[in-house]
Amino acid sequence: MTRLYVRWSVILVAGIVLAALASQYHARHLAALTPETVVATSPTGTAIRVIGMVQGGTLEGEVATGSLRFQLGGAHDVLPVQYQGPPPENLRELKTLVVIGRWIPETRTFVAHDLGLVANYGFVMAAYLAALIPLGLFVFGMERRVSLLYRDIKESKIYEPEASVHVDGT
Amino acid sequence: MISLVIKRLQRYEGWVGGAAALCLVTGLYLGLIASPPDYYQGEVVRIMYVHVPLAHTAMLAYGVLFGASIWYLWKRDPIVDNLAHAAAGISAFFTAAALVTGSIWAKPTWNTWWTWDARLVSFAVMFLILAGYLMMRTFVDDPEREARYAAVLAIVGFADLPIVHFSVEWWRTLHQPLSISMRGVSMSGEILVPLSVMSTGFTLLFGYMLMVRTQMLYLTRLLQAKKGRLLSHAHVAQSGPQVGSQPSSAH
Amino acid sequence: MSFFRVIHWVAWKDLISEVRSRETISSMFFFALIVILVFSFSFSMDQQAARQLIAGIIWVAFAFTGMIGLGKSFAAELQNDCLEQLQISPAPKGAVYLGKLTANLVFMLLVEIILFPMFVIFFNLDVVEQLPLLLLIFVLATWGLSTVGTLFSAMTVQIRAREVMLPILLLPLAVPVMIAAVEATRGALSASPLDLYQQWLQLLAVFDVVFTVLSFWAFEWIVDS
Repeated sequence: MTRLYVRWSVILVAGIVLAALASQYHARHLAALTPETVVATSPTGTAIRVIGMVQGGTLEGEVATGSLRFQLGGAHDVLPVQYQGPPPENLRELKTLVVIGRWIPETRTFVAHDLGLVANYGFVMAAYLAALIPLGLFVFGMERRVSLLYRDIKESKIYEPEASVHVDGT
Repeated sequence: MISLVIKRLQRYEGWVGGAAALCLVTGLYLGLIASPPDYYQGEVVRIMYVHVPLAHTAMLAYGVLFGASIWYLWKRDPIVDNLAHAAAGISAFFTAAALVTGSIWAKPTWNTWWTWDARLVSFAVMFLILAGYLMMRTFVDDPEREARYAAVLAIVGFADLPIVHFSVEWWRTLHQPLSISMRGVSMSGEILVPLSVMSTGFTLLFGYMLMVRTQMLYLTRLLQAKKGRLLSHAHVAQSGPQVGSQPSSAH
Repeated sequence: MSFFRVIHWVAWKDLISEVRSRETISSMFFFALIVILVFSFSFSMDQQAARQLIAGIIWVAFAFTGMIGLGKSFAAELQNDCLEQLQISPAPKGAVYLGKLTANLVFMLLVEIILFPMFVIFFNLDVVEQLPLLLLIFVLATWGLSTVGTLFSAMTVQIRAREVMLPILLLPLAVPVMIAAVEATRGALSASPLDLYQQWLQLLAVFDVVFTVLSFWAFEWIVDS
């Protein structure tokens, strides 16, 4: 029985460690701020991610040179964005996206050097957790039940007295 | 006293389980970290790496249930009945998981939690048939009759599934001309590798779960029989000489 | 006894006992009336909506009514150990199945034929030209429900929770029959040309044949003792 519990404790610990690593990675590389947060807190740093929707009628510039200006809107605030970087393939008005760059408090604009995908990590994580956690519980429950059954059969001494049967229960 | 087949299952289950774990960990790494997001669907395509293997394994498990049911009616081996029962339980679980992950995948992709697609409806019907099978098995008192009825139910249910699929397919083309853009996934090699690894891992996992669950059902029946809780034939396969009773290995 | 005599005898026995007691048909009939009433409260229907929904309502009513009849089919055998005698009798079991199937088919059809004019009256349907076609649809679909229903009725009669297990087992398998019946009935009621919905009639026919054969074979295993 102990081997069963040891095995599953290892799996559980591994899962927790992975979850911690994943959430750390998410916070550092994938999480994005809203325009309201940027305007309110004036964050410093060169790789700030901001998520918002390109406001209608504000997109100007040349796609080919990769130099564009638009307004990025959140729930209440609008962020003027100046983008200079690789020519974006599918930058349109009314599209939600992530801009990566710096915030200039003096001019109150956001200078972006890259665009990011709006990734639906929530759905991916939900699906994997919904599949793997019940699966783990199910398999653990089965293995535990089998161990208990082997132990019960051994203890109730239901074997032939002549030949001693070695019941290998973990 | 415990059948040789069961002892062999117990000896080899570790290998299958270990191989399954290895494949799954590799597949998870490949699917979640190493592979790129899809051109159309973005990150959400990663759900496919868990949804598709679940669906395939659920169907494989149902096939095992069908085969084991026919085998049971032919040979009346109680362990084969345990195998069928085990396959049904696992298939029900995997079907439910496939439906849930499919629904979670559908929401960001097609903006709807459910669509009356032929495959999804067939899966839902398959789940209901399996649930009915498992319920019925708990309501029958005599184990030998339970095994017989269950085998018949599994065979009739299996025969019905293709007809269900076709009828829903026809019905759907009548009422929902493809308004949902069913853009597929760009099947590149980068998508195929994690998918195959996860599929192999889930198939091995199914094999392992089948071995464990068959043992569980067999041992439960054995314990009941030995403790005299069964009034009719024990309907358990055993090996070796019994003290005082006849071997009841076949009906 | 020869095969066909057994079928005839089993079916005739059920029909005669029903004529004398009339309990199955009357309970099915009143249950169906209640179902129709409840449905008419659930949907507020004008003419357009009625035409769309009525086929579905008809078949939901028939399906649940059929469950009652199918359930009673073998329940009557529980008295006086008839079921055990069925198991040990030398009559070919397949013939017994076909006899039961015929009796169930007749009961369900009778109830449907009595009920359908009520539908026509309550929902103001216009059906005179399509009556033969509708009758064909009713026969095919009812046959389909009865094939698997008779088998499952025999299966569930001796287990616990018998009344709830029959619908749980039967309805998922009867999905093709329900879809085909509703679509065909809707086509007939809206007077569409036949080739638009004849595929459904073909589906019903295929289902009927396949599952009669399958249930005929499976019945041996169910009543084998």
